[in-house]
Amino acid sequence: MGPGSRRRLAAERAAPVTWAPVARRTGSTREKLLGAVLVLPAVALALVVVGGGVGATALQAFGLLPVVGRPRPGTGAFTARPGELFAAIGVSLSVAVVATAVAVVVGTTAAVVIVSRTRSSRAVATLGTLTVTIPHLIAAATVGLLLSDAGVLPRLLGISPDDWAPWVGGPLWGAAIVELAWKESAFIALIVTGTLATRIQTYDETAALLGAGRAQRFRHVLLPLTAPTIVIGAAISFVYALGSYEVLWLLGRTSPEPLPVLAVRLFQGVSLDARNEAAAVALVTCVLALGAVALTFAALRRTATWR
Amino acid sequence: MTPLRHRRRLAAMTVATASALFALAGCAAPAAPETAEFSDWDAVLSAARGQTVQLWMYGGDDQGNAYVDDVLTPAVAEYGVTLERVPVTDTRDALNRVFTELQAGRDDGSVDLVWINGDNFRTGKEAGAWRCGWTGLLPSMAGTGADDPLLQSDFGTPVDGCEAPWHKAQFTLAYNAEAIADPPTTLAGVLDWADAHPGRFTYPAPPDFTGSVFVREALASVSGGADEVPTAFSQDAYDELTPALWNRLDELAPHLWRGGDTYPANETELGQLFADRQIDMTMTYGPATLTALVADGTYPAQTKVLTLEDGTVGNASFLGLPVNSDAAAGAMVVANVALSPEQQAKKAEPEVWGQFPVLDLDALSAEDRELFDALPTSPVVPPYDELSRNAHGELAAEWVPALDDGWRQNVLPR
Repeated sequence: MGPGSRRRLAAERAAPVTWAPVARRTGSTREKLLGAVLVLPAVALALVVVGGGVGATALQAFGLLPVVGRPRPGTGAFTARPGELFAAIGVSLSVAVVATAVAVVVGTTAAVVIVSRTRSSRAVATLGTLTVTIPHLIAAATVGLLLSDAGVLPRLLGISPDDWAPWVGGPLWGAAIVELAWKESAFIALIVTGTLATRIQTYDETAALLGAGRAQRFRHVLLPLTAPTIVIGAAISFVYALGSYEVLWLLGRTSPEPLPVLAVRLFQGVSLDARNEAAAVALVTCVLALGAVALTFAALRRTATWR
Repeated sequence: MTPLRHRRRLAAMTVATASALFALAGCAAPAAPETAEFSDWDAVLSAARGQTVQLWMYGGDDQGNAYVDDVLTPAVAEYGVTLERVPVTDTRDALNRVFTELQAGRDDGSVDLVWINGDNFRTGKEAGAWRCGWTGLLPSMAGTGADDPLLQSDFGTPVDGCEAPWHKAQFTLAYNAEAIADPPTTLAGVLDWADAHPGRFTYPAPPDFTGSVFVREALASVSGGADEVPTAFSQDAYDELTPALWNRLDELAPHLWRGGDTYPANETELGQLFADRQIDMTMTYGPATLTALVADGTYPAQTKVLTLEDGTVGNASFLGLPVNSDAAAGAMVVANVALSPEQQAKKAEPEVWGQFPVLDLDALSAEDRELFDALPTSPVVPPYDELSRNAHGELAAEWVPALDDGWRQNVLPR
């Protein structure tokens, strides 16, 4: 038994003095069994699809599933292109981190505006809801049309293509980050709004009655209570941005390539060996994504409201 | 170890084993094709009746899509064959689908025909993905020239009846005559012109098809002509010839669009830059598209084809039939109809698709020949015999990935 669960047990014995919005209750054996049966179909499906897909990718990456010839087990696919692989990891992580950070700040601010019941809250809510429904491919094409050298924005502003900053295909991946941050901020805004619309509002009102200012309430009431939602939303956005192919392919540049673009190029390469290398790149992407999710859960366990 | 951890490890092992089993289930080798399945053409015709043929082809060419949907599909329907066009962004997607289905041991493959040539054909042939020796059955094959080199070998890979010819293509550079009053006349001249006009020229990044052709053309140019580059690939020839190529392209890079910092990903993006007047030259292996693009105002009205003294590369493209197709007879009927003089002439009309025919026009009957003589001319694209003057053949398919990789290693990371 780890120190975490021991602490939790102690907290439960001391019960019911918890200040979390939803108190934890241990269910009966029957309830636990029913719960397990209810999630079983979803878990089985996820195991088959994710396990099968990742499993097949892993087999290819380690040379166990060649298109032609005998399986030649080994890790050669991982070490075949060290420079390109590390550059890809760097680009993918940077773009995903920056896009997620922007999305969290914009999304959380938008959520606070939405629940503030001011005149602008309805407009922000409508914008957020509409943005979520736009597919990423369409959004990427839209951002491309807007921000490319001869795009709508430079034309409206009367700036010549030569003087316009290289948003699309530029060294800072501007257009790709804008697209991911825009779409993901709407997603984060909606889920954070969902949390804020719960009884958290009563805590907020109580704090207001006790004389807390707007900034104090945000810092000491809203932020700690919505932190788990924000962290989960950020993790989902991050993992999405890390695995996104079409946005980075449409709005990105020739070199260095992000992980998914590198994987697809190698997979489509005429050399049959490159398929193993593509699988290796895909597996590295999976591991990074799983790592991000693991870190998220570790962080969640530290937040007070999770317990 | 706590029981919980133990259970978790057990679960993880179960998942790993299950996924391995799922994946291994797909490892069974595909059945070898029955080569003598059809005794004659009538047997093919009767087997084809009622079959649905999926033709996988590059979907980014509206005219090509319209030709297949509106002209070819009704023509094969007369034989009781339903033709479905499956658009792909890259022919390799179709090939990958075939490989994946073969890996999974499926003999009822969903890919029945692929518009293909070059390295994709070679890769498929190496992997045994094509049905071979079937084109001899097609009555329309009689209309092609028996000794036409473009139809005997596809980028140096012997065709061996593994694919039926569909059309010919000529790599073409086009320029905006409004911006370039005095166009260069050789490829070396084009590179010099690009040096002298910074930011007004670029090419798609290999391994994009068009960018890859441009790099091969540049190789011929810096090597002193297409004859100086041996068609068959050898590491020695590569090591001897490519340093000059990488030097020249490296020198050129700072003078390209965006200073060679990035490249268009494909022909469509290159065309977009040309349409936006950001560059003054574009290139394509399908010059047929130029007529319509100029007519609808996408490209500058003064767009002209640049005919080079040293000629450009030409090739033929084909219809490949995967070994595991579940509608092989229907696919053969489609390939035969597509090769008929009526279809080849219709397809050659600039308004329809403007693809050059693969038939030997001199050997056609007077009646069939009339179909081609009556073709309208394009105001932008010169006729095939002018376009293909001094043309050279494609290098062996092995050159393509070698040069693509070499470009990424030597020119890209400047």
